[in-house]
Amino acid sequence: MTANNIVMIGVSTGGPIALKRLFADLPPLNAALVIVLHIPTGMDYRIARSLGDLASMPVTLAEDGEYLHSGRIYLAPGGYHLTLEGNSRIILTEGPRVNFVQPSVDVAMQSLLKPLRRKRIIGVILTGMGKDGAEGVRHIKAIGGVNIAQDQESSAIYGMPKAALETGSVDFVFPPDKIGQKLVELLSGPANNLSEG
Amino acid sequence: MDSRIMIVDDEDMIREAVEILLETEGMDIVTAAGGEECLRHLKSGFTGVILMDIMMPGMDGWDTIRKIVEQGLYEGNVIVMLTAMDTPDEKMEGLQEYVTDYITKPFNADNLLDSLRYYRSLLKTENDRA
Repeated sequence: MTANNIVMIGVSTGGPIALKRLFADLPPLNAALVIVLHIPTGMDYRIARSLGDLASMPVTLAEDGEYLHSGRIYLAPGGYHLTLEGNSRIILTEGPRVNFVQPSVDVAMQSLLKPLRRKRIIGVILTGMGKDGAEGVRHIKAIGGVNIAQDQESSAIYGMPKAALETGSVDFVFPPDKIGQKLVELLSGPANNLSEG
Repeated sequence: MDSRIMIVDDEDMIREAVEILLETEGMDIVTAAGGEECLRHLKSGFTGVILMDIMMPGMDGWDTIRKIVEQGLYEGNVIVMLTAMDTPDEKMEGLQEYVTDYITKPFNADNLLDSLRYYRSLLKTENDRA
């Protein structure tokens, strides 16, 4: 079954530990989860393998052309930008760095389209330097989605979550474990409470 | 094979304190008093977790990471900043993907050990895991 709901997570330095905390107790979700972590080739598969060992959902490195499925976690590989075609198909492209990074959270989030009625888009910005993801959450809000940012206390570097918050497009601020609880809550309630649909 | 830990810091006291802490955990430690020495260890085949200070005379932590990447020495390593700087300066821009974590001094020993155990597990090969 292709994904109905999408959770897109943008994260950088401090990310592996933050993701570990987020996924440690997270039950399978009725959504496809796409992680855009600033990592180089060679480290990406190690992170995917490690998250796969602890997450309740299968974790794979995203492959060009594959379709998203609910209940799965896709990690963007290093060295490419990840975008989604029609909110369902992964496209990996080379090209210039955006916000000094590749993959870029802004590039991935800005490829999301306004969801169909009763489908949900949730953006999550975790620890990291810089402001990658800020334009992404602004876009997600504009298409009717919901955004969550990591709190300052639990962030190794409070750069990306702060920049996201300053856009005024963030709905919730939590540490990683509480973000997991909020995802469960958001994805179990009626979708049209969240999306303009 | 268990990966090693390299402590890169110009302050003797910091190197010694971290070394003593990690040795009690049975971790195999290498120390470097600066970026040049760090690069020499890597060229000699070191792989593992690199605990990198930022403010060091001459080549600072960012310059050192840039050299590691330029010289193709990154593969098989995890770089963690261990620094007194609360927030990183703009020299980190463009290096984000190579900096796995950022820990500020003074650090919590238990948290540092937990993080290092996790980063070492990331570096295990499929053969190590079998």
